[in-house]
Amino acid sequence: MGIGFLLIAMVLSVFAARLVQLQAVDPGSYAQLAAAEGTVQVMLPAARGEITDRNGDPLAESVDGTMIVADPHVTSDHATELARFLTRRLDVDYADTLAALRAEDSRFQYIARQVPTSKAEDVVADAGDEGYPGLFTENDPLRIYPNGDVAANVVGFLGTPEADGSAHALAGLEDRFNEYLSGTDGEARYQMGAGNQIPLGDHTVTPAVDGHDLRTTIDRDLQWYAQRVLQQTVEGAKGESGIAVVMDSRTGQLLALADYPTYDAADPQEYDSSLYKSSALTDVYEPGSVEKALTLSSLIDAGLATPRTRLKVPGKLYRQDRPIGDYWDHDTLRLTLAGVLAKSSNVGTVLAADEFKPGQLRKYLTAYGLGKRTGVGLGGETRGILPRGAAWTDQVDDRISFGQSLSVNAVQMAAAINAIANGGVRVDPSLVMGSATLDNGTTIGTGQTTERRVISERAAHQTMLMMERVVDPDAGVAPRAAVAGYRVAGKTGTAQRVGDECACYDGSTTVSFAGFAPADDPRFTVYVVVHDPVAGSGGGSVAGPAFSQLMSYALRRYGVPPTGKKPNQIPVEW
Amino acid sequence: MSSTAPQVRSRLPRVAPRTAQAAVQRARLTVVPRGRTRAPRVPFVTLVSLILLGGVIGLLLFNTSMQQASFQATALERQASDLGARQEALEMDLQALRDPARIARAAQRQGMVIPTSAGILDLGTGAISGAAEPAAGAPLPLAPPAAQRPSFLDPAPVRVRVPAAVGSSGGSTATGNDQGNRGRNGAASPTR
Repeated sequence: MGIGFLLIAMVLSVFAARLVQLQAVDPGSYAQLAAAEGTVQVMLPAARGEITDRNGDPLAESVDGTMIVADPHVTSDHATELARFLTRRLDVDYADTLAALRAEDSRFQYIARQVPTSKAEDVVADAGDEGYPGLFTENDPLRIYPNGDVAANVVGFLGTPEADGSAHALAGLEDRFNEYLSGTDGEARYQMGAGNQIPLGDHTVTPAVDGHDLRTTIDRDLQWYAQRVLQQTVEGAKGESGIAVVMDSRTGQLLALADYPTYDAADPQEYDSSLYKSSALTDVYEPGSVEKALTLSSLIDAGLATPRTRLKVPGKLYRQDRPIGDYWDHDTLRLTLAGVLAKSSNVGTVLAADEFKPGQLRKYLTAYGLGKRTGVGLGGETRGILPRGAAWTDQVDDRISFGQSLSVNAVQMAAAINAIANGGVRVDPSLVMGSATLDNGTTIGTGQTTERRVISERAAHQTMLMMERVVDPDAGVAPRAAVAGYRVAGKTGTAQRVGDECACYDGSTTVSFAGFAPADDPRFTVYVVVHDPVAGSGGGSVAGPAFSQLMSYALRRYGVPPTGKKPNQIPVEW
Repeated sequence: MSSTAPQVRSRLPRVAPRTAQAAVQRARLTVVPRGRTRAPRVPFVTLVSLILLGGVIGLLLFNTSMQQASFQATALERQASDLGARQEALEMDLQALRDPARIARAAQRQGMVIPTSAGILDLGTGAISGAAEPAAGAPLPLAPPAAQRPSFLDPAPVRVRVPAAVGSSGGSTATGNDQGNRGRNGAASPTR
């Protein structure tokens, strides 16, 4: 009897000791172990925001992607058959797949990444049906660029995701707005039994916060057309590269920003990484005669000239260091200021610009936005080179008046010409609709643009009249830039170009044409630049026709009717 | 005054002797005989059993239906995600069809060109403005230029000059083709 009680007491004290151990010593970890049994934790990936054009058509979008992974312990037995099956169904390499399926000392090998989910599920299910187990799928979001090279220079692209699944942005807006687009991943935790969720089980969900969509000001179809026209133009002129900018005159929104050559955002690894940029913003060049429109409009605004101001223009102008000449040989001409612009006379421009007080031209050019970044949102933008202080010598002053010895980027120049189109008010160019925050914390977009008056409305109007003479078949140098039925104002540019190798003027040129239409009620400003075309090309003959095509397409696409007025006939000679 | 009290006392039994007797009779307590009648137990037990059984079965059914619903929820969720993936795939197809490059290719195959001018008809006044002309000019290049691969993906061919093998077969009768073959063999295995 006593022995029996003793036995019971001993057994009970063992239980008690175990109870104390479970409940008093570290009860938390046991509770966690119990909870983890059957608990499933799932990451809810945040959808990356779309990048769309101004009409909402996607330029970059995210779809539910999936990665297919293999467990080599299971797959090595039937590796050859499975590799053949996978090569047939997926875009994968046979040898690589076979090696992955046979990998030793591994339980996890990537077979294919960023496959559309429906396809991946089908492939894995079919593999299972054919008797090849050992394949699994995991979430692997996929970014697609449905338009290939259209606006690739602006949109950029994502590389292979990081190990934790987060996006790895490599270029363009994707890179600059990475945080804005990314969003925050969520998490779901619930208890599973036999493949089904246990009702009344623990169930907590932290929803994912999706990334913001980014709407650009780009018009996809116009962008496509601009890229193709630019390609045709550059290839036709055997040029090295080219840029085309289409801007809404009233709002400064960039409707198209085309670079040639560019790359395919859907297949970027096929291209050299030096193309992963928008050269319209990153590359500087000397604008040449297009800049004369800025010089002469400033003169008119300062009250130092009118379109009818008479100038005697000699064939050569001997100044301090070297003679200044025109692109064509001539004796002394009697040109009005309008004639100087229409015929693009360097000598005439220098003579007219002599009226400026020191520093006055620089002030105007700064107000036009030269020498300052446009900040439209793409990375690596250059601010251009506008000499200052002692670097602005008399010789430099002469050359700057006709567009040499200063450097710009294409968007700067388009925005400056657009100020003339917009009645003398410069609007900041923009590439993003509304407002969006860059990764560096700056908020940009059409909601943040500022306006400032550069020249008077009257000066802008008179400059427009002079620029209209440029496309006149008799008076001007660029009749091929005209758009049938519309009044067009523009300016050609043929600049000496600094070569890459010698860092000096190597005889190559940059030809360009900037203009706006309808001249008396501007809606679009178009700027076309071609670097290093075949010798003998000019802004009017190479960039002019491209300008005409782009302008005509834009006017038609947006249903802008002609104003029905006749082009002006200001005299170009006296 | 002293005569009034006996009068009242004598009058009382006279007024209600019978009712008083009845009252007394009623007031006398007697022992009630022990009740031998028992309520039947069976209905009660049945009722309780039924309630218990009903509760258990109900709970079981409820649980089962919840499980069933959970199975269904899981299946439906899977179906929803499948359909979502299908929708995304279809939207991708749609985007591919709306690609301006594809539309332009299709249009150009039918002989269309993008015009450079347009006439505009004002529906209000019926006035025609603009200068519409037949579209002309070279068709646009529709394919983007081919990728220029980075130099490391497209290395220059390696040329190895091999000294002419002395006493090779054929001698003067060797054709150009033979020599070419020999050159390639030599280049492929310069260490031989």
